[in-house]
Amino acid sequence: MSVSLTSAPSPVSAPATGLTAERFAAHLAQQAPLPAWWLDAKQVAWERFRALPLPTRTDEHWRFSSLKGISFDGYDLSETPASAAPHLPAFPHTAQIIYSNRQVIGRSTVPAELTAQGVLFCPLDEALREHGELVRTHLQKHPAALGGDKFVALNTAFAASGVVLYVPKGVEVDLPFVVQHAITGERQAAFPHTLVILEDNARATLVEFFVSGDQRTHLAAGVNDLHAGAGARLTYVGAQSWSDTTLAFQSNSIVAQRDARVLALNVHLGGRQARHESHSRLLGPGAHSEMLALTVAGGTQEFDQRTLQTHAAPNTSSNLLYKNVLLDTARTIFSGLIVVDPDAQKTDAYQSNRNLMLSDTAEANSLPGLEIQANDVRCTHGATTSRIEPEQEFYLESRGIPPKKAAELLVIGFFEEVLNKLEDENLHAVLRDLIEAKFKAK
Amino acid sequence: MHTLEIRDLFVALTDQPDKPIVKGLNLTIKAGEIHAIMGPNGTGKSTLSKAIAGHPGYAITGGDVLIDGKSILEMEPDERARAGIFLAFQYPSEIPGVSIANFLRAAVQARLAEGEELDATAYYKRLYGKMDMLKIDRKFTSRAVNDGFSGGEKKRCEILQMAMLEPTFALMDETDSGLDIDALRIVADGVNTMRGPKLGVLLITHYQRLLDYIVPDQVHVMYDGRIVKTGDKGLALELEAKGYDWVKKELAAV
Amino acid sequence: MADTEILGTDSAVENPAVGIDQSVGDFTYDVKYEFDAGSGLNEGTVRYISSVKKEAPWILDFRLKAYQTFLDKPMPTHWATKDLESIDFSKIRYYLSQGQKPKRTWDEVPDDIKKTFERLGIPEQERKFLAGVEAQFDSEAAYSNVKDIVAKQGVIFLTSSEALREHPELFRKWFGKVIPTSDNKFSALNSAVFSGGSFIYVPKGVKVAMPLQAYFRINAENFGQFERTLIIADEGAEVTYMEGCTAPKFSTSTLHSAVVELVALKGAKIQYITVQNWANNVFNLVTKRGLAMEDAEIKWIDCNIGSRLTMKYPGVILKGRRARGEVISIALANDGQHQDTGAKMIHAADETTSSIVAKSISVGQGRSTYRGQVHIPKHLKGCKNNTECDALLINSNSRTDTYPAITVRGDRHAVQHEASVSKVSEEMIFYMQQRGLTEAQAMSLAVNGFVNDLVSQFPMEYSVELKRLIDLEMEGSVG
Repeated sequence: MSVSLTSAPSPVSAPATGLTAERFAAHLAQQAPLPAWWLDAKQVAWERFRALPLPTRTDEHWRFSSLKGISFDGYDLSETPASAAPHLPAFPHTAQIIYSNRQVIGRSTVPAELTAQGVLFCPLDEALREHGELVRTHLQKHPAALGGDKFVALNTAFAASGVVLYVPKGVEVDLPFVVQHAITGERQAAFPHTLVILEDNARATLVEFFVSGDQRTHLAAGVNDLHAGAGARLTYVGAQSWSDTTLAFQSNSIVAQRDARVLALNVHLGGRQARHESHSRLLGPGAHSEMLALTVAGGTQEFDQRTLQTHAAPNTSSNLLYKNVLLDTARTIFSGLIVVDPDAQKTDAYQSNRNLMLSDTAEANSLPGLEIQANDVRCTHGATTSRIEPEQEFYLESRGIPPKKAAELLVIGFFEEVLNKLEDENLHAVLRDLIEAKFKAK
Repeated sequence: MHTLEIRDLFVALTDQPDKPIVKGLNLTIKAGEIHAIMGPNGTGKSTLSKAIAGHPGYAITGGDVLIDGKSILEMEPDERARAGIFLAFQYPSEIPGVSIANFLRAAVQARLAEGEELDATAYYKRLYGKMDMLKIDRKFTSRAVNDGFSGGEKKRCEILQMAMLEPTFALMDETDSGLDIDALRIVADGVNTMRGPKLGVLLITHYQRLLDYIVPDQVHVMYDGRIVKTGDKGLALELEAKGYDWVKKELAAV
Repeated sequence: MADTEILGTDSAVENPAVGIDQSVGDFTYDVKYEFDAGSGLNEGTVRYISSVKKEAPWILDFRLKAYQTFLDKPMPTHWATKDLESIDFSKIRYYLSQGQKPKRTWDEVPDDIKKTFERLGIPEQERKFLAGVEAQFDSEAAYSNVKDIVAKQGVIFLTSSEALREHPELFRKWFGKVIPTSDNKFSALNSAVFSGGSFIYVPKGVKVAMPLQAYFRINAENFGQFERTLIIADEGAEVTYMEGCTAPKFSTSTLHSAVVELVALKGAKIQYITVQNWANNVFNLVTKRGLAMEDAEIKWIDCNIGSRLTMKYPGVILKGRRARGEVISIALANDGQHQDTGAKMIHAADETTSSIVAKSISVGQGRSTYRGQVHIPKHLKGCKNNTECDALLINSNSRTDTYPAITVRGDRHAVQHEASVSKVSEEMIFYMQQRGLTEAQAMSLAVNGFVNDLVSQFPMEYSVELKRLIDLEMEGSVG
């Protein structure tokens, strides 16, 4: 599939920088051609963003988070010309959409046979114009309930970038749809909002890359709504490698109807402080959710991951595996909760957080929780924090492998358990390369 | 003399009541007799034993089960047990934290009249006597029931319980499965020691080999939820030689 | 005597409450009036308690500061249950005043509690005592016996009030040091109004052979609701302390809020056993923490069966190298009960190890919650924690929650947390029924089996009582 770079849109002069009322008014004016309900939603979200306080110490959703680094001041939202996109890994895919600084800079077309079957893969604004009702019905229908309301409101207020993927009943697409969101330029920001709708028995994979074009300071606040209809099979991969000075927030909501199967894998590599919220709701009997994450935390990075597995129907299952590797003085927070509603008998839920410590000054926080209101269930969780076994390291070194390489091999090995859950081997290789690249940069 | 009578019995899974597994089975076992039921897998042998014992997963959709002419179908599983039915499980449950000694003590106490207290000294004397008879180490009783037991240990634990609870009718569900030849001999010796005019036994087995050690009075062949052939121990040998296909062919010919 | 000196010099001058005529009359009336005014706990109440106890000025200061902290601290409802808001602080004062001892007769004791006493086989005399019908208990002599034996080893075993008078230097050194007043709202409340509790000092190298029991003494004083206990095991000393009783304590009070501090100096061992079976109208909000120095070991064995809401997370601060901390917790929550229990392990030295094993059973609409904290802060090495928590749910409307928080800094530690939730399998129940046990008997056996490995760590008589209590709680849970 070829990617054609469209010409960069002409810059729009902004009345002010930062997240000011003037800036919001300008943004709203720019969105004016879009449906009125969307503009209303933005207005409401803006007011909500302004009204909501910054997270506080007493908010359990933010326990252990560093709060003093959270500020929305001084980010530049002027529509600067989009630069060329950073390198996007090449691997077999169905179609691509490439964003830079909130604007589409590249797009490949969806194969005609899929379009003929009703498959839709387009930028958010296009979907709003042409499929407004579809977007309206699903957008933020089930927002994640994990404490990031202020960020979500900010996203809705300024959301312009993002894609909509719609796969009709029974349509199966093998190769992934690929999206890249890039931010380039000092104090630039992005507010991507992705909506995936798989109708009953549909199958598709969406891969999103979040990447900085330079090592400047950025702000990212993204939201994803992932819907899997009855019997549908949805695979979502998010790979985040923002600059090390980016304040990043992402909220993912996953909804699985009867017998649906959703796999979500998030790879976290970048950001100064990166918070990721992921909420899976199993709404129909037989639904299954696989929640996976891999994090390499180095330098002074902080990765704050909050998850919720809500079992709202009987015979549902979920499996969560979050693996963190910590170097330098990095911090990670994993806070996960499995909630089993009173009616959700025969739930089978698992939650596991594994932290591998590679530094004496790194800090891993783990809060694996359960709230169970049905008795006929199998729910377990586990959390471990440990180092590489010295014997293992020695074994590799005794074979002539230098210590740094040995550690890298063992880390990749530690992650392999998660990567192996991806059926797409090309994608598997792309993610492994990304992770290795972060190690090489060290 | 006590009699267990199974009369035109139909059994299905509780969740699938319209799909009978046992379909009109008739069998009468008198105390003192040993009956063997043989048959291919999936023919309803285990279902029969669990239904008689009152397992909640199985529904009796027709017919009756009677002890000395009295139906037991309205009785709870524990009432049936106290009425003299003992089921030796194919896969005995593990009960972590509950020692065999305490478990059996509770089971023996449950058989006493209200207000009657178990004589602990006599109980242990009897327990150790039975264990000696079954060649079971004394340390065994302080282990939790079936918890972490090998297949052979589980079966021996079943036989020990049977010896202590002295049932009138023992339903032995594939007791030989998972046993090597030495363990099989110990189990068979146990049953043979208990054999006598007070005990009726229903041996459910897939293989003939158990019947080398426990010689049955009657052998029944079960197929598709019914008893299709009855004979003496010679029938078991014939089955072993000719295989179950022989029965199937014979049935098809009728 | 040192204590007389303190009373003789300081109290008259610095304790303003002493100036008040204490011959019952006006002062008591004033207090009553304040109580009747319903303005809640106030400074006067705190001063009154201190003056009745003839305390040294520093203790009054300590109490008054704590009272202010109590007022300043919000209810921890942002993480804990909203049920805390049902606590009516105006009722607490009633029990603070010696003059306000509840007067009850055996006839006023609710029937279900009487029945439980009977079935537990508690002697009539003791039953009356447990029910609070009789303020005096005849076993004072028995207690004195124990006291005499340990006294010969140099062990000090007194009520907190006595110890504050007789051994202020020992007491003050550690008092409030393990659990600061401001630790939480209820530790502050206790620090303001504490009364009763034990003080134990075990000298260097002394190993106390028999467990010291707290139960009788606390009740004899009838100030049990806010007891304050401090146990110090000097270097190489060993002591086991047991509190509570396996019988339900009849109580009309709504709040029990104790503070227990343990100090295990180098190489010392302290084991603290609690079997809590309050009536289910009691809010049981207790702060318990131990400080373990080099090579010392502190073990909390905590069993919660009674109360309406229990919030209790026994902890160990592992302050010295190779210190060990252990919490064994059993909780059973029946209808109308919430057992919010757990453990805290604060590693503060190299090569410290901690272990938490928590098992809970939720019956009917009961709710059990595990909350745990494991903290391994900066630059330590060789720390280990192992946590296991298992929840058993009996009925379809039973509830359980698990909220651990684990912080590990550095790459030289091994920390592992595992939790599971399960129910008693139908196959297991059928298996036992097939052996002639009723469904209820089978359930009781299964539940006892679930906690058996923990119960067996209790002293014999406690484990037997515990099993019987579990059986009582399980009755009527099936069918």
